[in-house]
Amino acid sequence: MIKLSTLFWLVLVSTTGFAMFAVKYGVQSLEDELNRTKKAIIAEEHAIRSDGAEWAYLTRPETLDEMNRRHLSLGPIATKQLRTTLTDIPLRAAGPTAVDAPVVAVAEPPAESAPPTILASTIAPASLEKPTEAAELAKPAPAKAFAKPVPLRRPRSLDELIAQVAASR
Amino acid sequence: MTIATQRFDDNPCRPRHFKPPPCGAIVPNGPAKQALQVCRTRLLVTGGLFALVFAVVALRIVEIVAVGGGTAESQIGRFRVVTAPAPSHADIVDRNGNVLAATLDSPSLYANPKQIVDAAEATNKLVRVFPTLGAGEVYAKLTSGKSFVWIRRHLTPAEQHDVNQLGIPGLEFEHEERRVYPDGDLTSHVVGYTGIDNAGFAGVERGLDGVLKERREPLQLSLDVRLQYILHEELQRVIDDFTAKGGAGLIMDVNSGEILAMASLPDFDPNHPATPDPDHPNISLADRMFDRITLGVYELGSIFKIFTVAMALEAGTSTISSTYDASHPLKIGRFTISDYHGKHRVLSVPEILMYSSNIGAARMAVAAGAQTQREFLSRLGLLKTPKIEVSEVAAPHYPAKWREVNVMTIAFGHGISVTPLSFATAAAALVNGGILRQATLVKLPVGNAPQGQQVISTKTSEQMRRLMRLVVEHGTGTMAAAPGYVVGGKTGTADKVSGRHYAERKLLSSFVGVFPINDPKYLVLTMVDEPHPNKRSHGYATAGWTVAPATSRIIERIAPLLGVQPVDESSPEVQRALMVESLQGKRVEAY
Repeated sequence: MIKLSTLFWLVLVSTTGFAMFAVKYGVQSLEDELNRTKKAIIAEEHAIRSDGAEWAYLTRPETLDEMNRRHLSLGPIATKQLRTTLTDIPLRAAGPTAVDAPVVAVAEPPAESAPPTILASTIAPASLEKPTEAAELAKPAPAKAFAKPVPLRRPRSLDELIAQVAASR
Repeated sequence: MTIATQRFDDNPCRPRHFKPPPCGAIVPNGPAKQALQVCRTRLLVTGGLFALVFAVVALRIVEIVAVGGGTAESQIGRFRVVTAPAPSHADIVDRNGNVLAATLDSPSLYANPKQIVDAAEATNKLVRVFPTLGAGEVYAKLTSGKSFVWIRRHLTPAEQHDVNQLGIPGLEFEHEERRVYPDGDLTSHVVGYTGIDNAGFAGVERGLDGVLKERREPLQLSLDVRLQYILHEELQRVIDDFTAKGGAGLIMDVNSGEILAMASLPDFDPNHPATPDPDHPNISLADRMFDRITLGVYELGSIFKIFTVAMALEAGTSTISSTYDASHPLKIGRFTISDYHGKHRVLSVPEILMYSSNIGAARMAVAAGAQTQREFLSRLGLLKTPKIEVSEVAAPHYPAKWREVNVMTIAFGHGISVTPLSFATAAAALVNGGILRQATLVKLPVGNAPQGQQVISTKTSEQMRRLMRLVVEHGTGTMAAAPGYVVGGKTGTADKVSGRHYAERKLLSSFVGVFPINDPKYLVLTMVDEPHPNKRSHGYATAGWTVAPATSRIIERIAPLLGVQPVDESSPEVQRALMVESLQGKRVEAY
């Protein structure tokens, strides 16, 4: 009887001891992994911060404006182009003129004596003596946008900007 | 307590060691037996408790090992959330979340020459990564025998990667912080810049330095970079067109006091503030750093007449149909007050504002009196230093003794200098229903405008809106019209003070525009310093020809971004909202 209980306790002690060590090593390796992950997270956060700044740098209004001039030639929305109610939207113009009209142009109702719409005339604002950005931008991509070199001081990327900052201090 | 043993030896001759030991079985009944029983019970209870605790520990271990100890997620609460060490200063973003200022981790490269194995090879490799470094210099550093030499400060992430790729032992990185402004000069005066250790030196960086240090989340400004860009570009265009010395402008939400854009030109690049601008090498650093909106105090001229008219209407010393004689210049002491483009007749209150009559405004102010005028301007906050989140603010200049001549000149914006910021804040109160709200550069929660202070009645405010519309419809500001957006405003062309006199031909032209004036939402203030006439302006450099057209262009460009829907300006509702009764049925003379 005594021998059986001793055996029971011996088995229990050795099992517990083994289990303790197993858990301890398990925890240690997990802690190592946690530390590695922590470091990776920190590195990732730094990368996110610098990517955020890079994104802000590459999407500056100035850059977007220049790219727009170069590739899209979009102009500000003229008041005339905005239709606020359903009745303002004209019916599809009949005849061949409608085919020629670009998709973005708002075709005038055929009943009016207005000339067939083309893009430039639609975007041009009502007051002709005051040429606005819209009219200028509606022209084909201006040659000067290509010819004008990017000023030297304007860095092309955030890396270059940081380099400039470092050089200036 | 000792157990009293009573020996019962049946055989006294038995050797002593054969004698049976005293044991439980022979403990007789009595107090001794009872004591032993108590002892046993206690032992049993203690042993039982120990066994129980060990069993719990054992079970727990079995649970952790065999069952898994619960899911990993249930343990998360026990660990600290891991984040990168917070940068010393929080980022600054605009109202749409675009980064205006960010703190980046920028590594600096140093070497421990004692650990460098082959200095010549290391030099060759380093010079390939940094072509601007001198090979001789690097070699000298690497063979110096010291244990620490800087190779290069503030590397870009790409450079750091390249250096790591070299795999030279003895090269280490020291991490330092660097404040970067992706938008460069666009928001220079508002955001400001920092010096060594990222201490704020100007703008919001300095004004809110403490806040930026404590925050982890980015600080959201009320600024909108899109509007800022438009304002900046249009101001630059006016300056170029009229070869002016500088310009400034701001866009404000009249119902909350939030500043959506604020620019002062010439400006600087906060990334390297001290570096001269290659485009304008002759403009001094001090000039570029000077914020005309918050730090500049100016005699703003005729745009001040809106305050004179509002004061007279509010005080009841004039009504909308009062008339004042502006047929002859007004003489007081050694001064003569005359009109720039005089009508030389009796003018009504709307006409005084429309044609910007100095004589009329002076007479209106005199009728109201010095006390009323001073009290009114003080109520609008024009006699105290404005409060704003940037550190550079200037106090207004105004006469200590408010004499009659001061009353007259202040009526048309001379003899009192205020910051354009104070002016815009007060002008917003005139049109928004009479509530003065402090201007702010920090974004407010939507629909949570500060309480504000009622400074004029809603009736006077409504009258002011009608009068300001008249200026753009028929008066000096016709070029500020932006069809569909119902602009109202006031022009101001002031002679600049030079020493003790007003300078000839040195003007400060400004325009305050509000749209849509029938339901005011936004205020646009633009000013240009010392504009020179050009051919297209027919020899004029006044506000009506310089900043008024710029305001029109700005409004046409920003209104769609701000979601302001154009209306038919000739529609009965708009006409009714902006009708001036005293002019009904009369032919309005063009300016």
